[in-house]
Amino acid sequence: MAGSSPHRPPSYHRASPSRSVLEEIIDDDRNSEARHKYLLEAAKREHDRIREDAERVYREQLQREEAQRLLAERRKEEERIKLEEQLAAERTRLNALRATKVAIPPPLPEPQQPAPPTPNGTTPAPKSANARAPTQTNGATSQPATKPPGVATPGLQVSKPSAQAPAAVPQKAAEPARPATSALGVGGLLSNVPQPNGDTSTAETSRSAAPPPAQPRPDRYSEIHKNLKNLRKFMAEQAKTNPILKERMGDMRRELRKSVGQLTVSSGVAGVNRVQQQTIVKLMREALSNQVQSQLMDPNEFLLTPRKNPVEGAAHNEPMLPSVFLYLINIFAKAAISQFINEAGARPETADPIGVCVAATLSEPDFLWRGGSMIDILLAKFRIVCPVLFGYRGSEKTEQGRQRLGWWKENGRWVTQQQHMDRMTGLGAGFAAISLRKFMAVKKENPYPPRHYWTAMARIVNTPSAEISDTQCVVLKSMVENYEQKFIEFYGTAALAALRMALVEFPARAPQKTAAVNSLDVLAQLLKRDAGLVLG
Amino acid sequence: MADLASRISKPSDAPASDAPAPAEGNGTEQPIDDGLNRGLIESSYDVEVKLSDLQNDTDNPLASGVSSFEELGLSKQINDGLLAMNFKKPSKIQEKALPLMLSNPPRNMIAQSQSGTGKTAAFVLTVLSRVDFTQPTQPQALLLAPSRELARQIQGVIKTIGQFCENLIVEAAIPGSISRETGVKASAVVGTPGTVLDLVRRRQFDVSKLKVLVIDEADNMLDQQGMGDQCLRVKNMLPKNIQTLLFSATFPDKVMNYARKFAPNANEIKLRHQDLTVKGISQMYMDCPDESKKYDILCKLYGLMTIGSSVIFVKTRESANEIQRRMEADGHKVSVLHGAYEGQNRDALLDDFRSGRSKVLITTNVLARGIDVSSVSMVINYDIPMKGPGDREPDAETYLHRIGRTGRFGRVGVSISFVYDRKSFEALSQIADWYQIDLVQLSPDDWDLTEKKVQDVIKSSRARPEYAPSALGN
Repeated sequence: MAGSSPHRPPSYHRASPSRSVLEEIIDDDRNSEARHKYLLEAAKREHDRIREDAERVYREQLQREEAQRLLAERRKEEERIKLEEQLAAERTRLNALRATKVAIPPPLPEPQQPAPPTPNGTTPAPKSANARAPTQTNGATSQPATKPPGVATPGLQVSKPSAQAPAAVPQKAAEPARPATSALGVGGLLSNVPQPNGDTSTAETSRSAAPPPAQPRPDRYSEIHKNLKNLRKFMAEQAKTNPILKERMGDMRRELRKSVGQLTVSSGVAGVNRVQQQTIVKLMREALSNQVQSQLMDPNEFLLTPRKNPVEGAAHNEPMLPSVFLYLINIFAKAAISQFINEAGARPETADPIGVCVAATLSEPDFLWRGGSMIDILLAKFRIVCPVLFGYRGSEKTEQGRQRLGWWKENGRWVTQQQHMDRMTGLGAGFAAISLRKFMAVKKENPYPPRHYWTAMARIVNTPSAEISDTQCVVLKSMVENYEQKFIEFYGTAALAALRMALVEFPARAPQKTAAVNSLDVLAQLLKRDAGLVLG
Repeated sequence: MADLASRISKPSDAPASDAPAPAEGNGTEQPIDDGLNRGLIESSYDVEVKLSDLQNDTDNPLASGVSSFEELGLSKQINDGLLAMNFKKPSKIQEKALPLMLSNPPRNMIAQSQSGTGKTAAFVLTVLSRVDFTQPTQPQALLLAPSRELARQIQGVIKTIGQFCENLIVEAAIPGSISRETGVKASAVVGTPGTVLDLVRRRQFDVSKLKVLVIDEADNMLDQQGMGDQCLRVKNMLPKNIQTLLFSATFPDKVMNYARKFAPNANEIKLRHQDLTVKGISQMYMDCPDESKKYDILCKLYGLMTIGSSVIFVKTRESANEIQRRMEADGHKVSVLHGAYEGQNRDALLDDFRSGRSKVLITTNVLARGIDVSSVSMVINYDIPMKGPGDREPDAETYLHRIGRTGRFGRVGVSISFVYDRKSFEALSQIADWYQIDLVQLSPDDWDLTEKKVQDVIKSSRARPEYAPSALGN
């Protein structure tokens, strides 16, 4: 016992059993009861002390062990989480791929056969109340019974690393309008990826289940385009009897065209186009005020989805707007498209300031009608001049194919290949310039949020290998070039997956390695070299 | 540049058989095989190829040209550079000239082709193919141009097409650009003749290993007093077996004879005279009531059609500055470039225009030649180009070079010339007669009407059948 206790107080000589035996013996009251008790007492104290010590050590040991165990457990947990995260990332990436893969546009044997025109209900409010499914907002749900489960579902279902995938679906449904703002990181990824998937189901439907004639849905954009032609005639008619209108309309048109033509690349300098922007808005305001007494018109003629009812808080809720205002928007859209074709075709970077101007102008609260923009006027033109953005496909080697691809004819002759590819280059860049605009800092509503960019890309990238055309490659290249950064900002990893699809896998499976196909490869190389973006 | 017109040959000098090319091959009747590009074979109607004696003997298959860049067997790096620039297939001049220029042993070449048809890319490809990239600081190719702007531009094209070539160094031998200490340390050198001459004399430019000599705007370079001498002196200092390539939009006979001595035994590629007015360019003139109205009318033009960039040619620096003031007040971003601006200042001004920070370029004749800004869709002759003592004669050749700034590579281009009095009207008429072109008259009285007319002209000229084969290789 002696020496075994760690903290033996050496001063306490009486209690110590190590006292010399002689002392004990010599002591008088060696056998007294008091002394006996005292010794007992001391022994007990000593016993307690040692026991306490032992217990403390034991407790400490336990705690240490516990801590060790927790640590190990934490590590294990962390490891697991890391693995799971990796898995989740892989899965989401896979989902993105699947999602894109599935989104195959319809086969389009007839030019009028529409690609599901912005099937996810597009913009927030009533636009989604589409001709097809007015009550259902989302593309995925709005698809009719023909939806082939075998095709459309995998994209959605594989995505279940625990809670994430189920969460994604409601999120998507709840918030279809705002993916642009929520688009960063995984949330954005999940809320966006399924969307192209949504339309795919229609696409797939028409492709696998029902060939062309099964869905004779009228192409609303083409209708709008016709209506716009009529609007132009209507304005000319009015001008004959309305001298004030005649006096002013041409000047406004030319002023607007000039201003759009004056827009320049900013090269990082803010406000270089302020004057032009102000001029354009001023002209539109003037038209809206209708001092020239143009006749009123129903704007629904130029909308993808009619807005039947007034919207609370909208600046303009009246059933009719001045025709000169609608006409001027038409001119504005025309000027933008023409600038894309003529200027951005040669130099794609010039499309960007025009995209900024389009987004800024059409989102102007004064120019909204029943809470929504009039951008469908511009999109109708896009649909006509660059159909591959809307999922139309065709062979460049046939008359009908060229027609579907938007290959222009002039005086009955096809324009040259170079002219056509120039046009497509400009229009691809223009489309990106309009659909990849950031509206986060601004109160205004984005008239054409980035999910449309995703959809358009998906429609090209998911073309069956045998049907890939040079036109698609050219459009794809120009909608990616100079916009990869914005795209990635909006869609994160999903954007990377999409870029890999577009610039690596898509060209790889093209049947003919034409210059247009190869230029996608080269763009991937450029991104690697200049931005360090490795897609391969 | 005043004597340009004396060197142009009249269309009537050309052989009578020079009927316009058959309008085949632009994919009209048989668009089905357009992908195979059958139309290119018809191009022998447009481009005359005259092989040098040696090659004539062997009935060289190269004379038929190639229809894709792949067939040329360019290295992957160079091919990728072309694709990055959206070059998808050779233009007419390229498909004919490149096989000849790239063949071995190297042969000289004299090539004439209208502006905007890809001459620059043709010789740049040759240069890049000849350079040995393992010797990046050893000068191996020399390119001469008449102005610093053009030299800079060519330097830019080499860098862009060669962007995937490792160890490619391109320097511009223009005043103030080569370091006095190190001298020329590049495999490709683009310069003006005077500066190159200086550098060689100062032994700062080792010419012993040069393999290719390119002279752009060769008619101008070889003919002009001073510059012609300089070119010859440069040539005499170079290795005797150097491959010499001469390029220009025009080669008057007088210059051609000299060129054949300068580049002996060369293959020749030539476009016929009528084709020299670029068919894709809609040429119009504006009938101004008097000179003072020209400013306002000028500003109005920009509302008539969609315009990318535009170039306005004026006679004097003063009117250049005044137009700039007015146009800026009207919201345009304008660059002015004339002789009063020096060297690097000029580079910067032109760079603004090239990069798109400004979209209107006002200039005197400095820039009539060669400058290629692909998005230029309108050229305005604010003053009709004149020459001779007291500006008595119209300068048809300068007119041609000016309007060649637009409609690059078969794109839509418009030129509008201002006339306001008898003299300017007659001068323009003579130019139009010279080239046998119809100019469409515009009037500033009713802008609605003028707008419609302009739109119609653009449409119809684009649809002209001979447009496609003549303006681009399609």
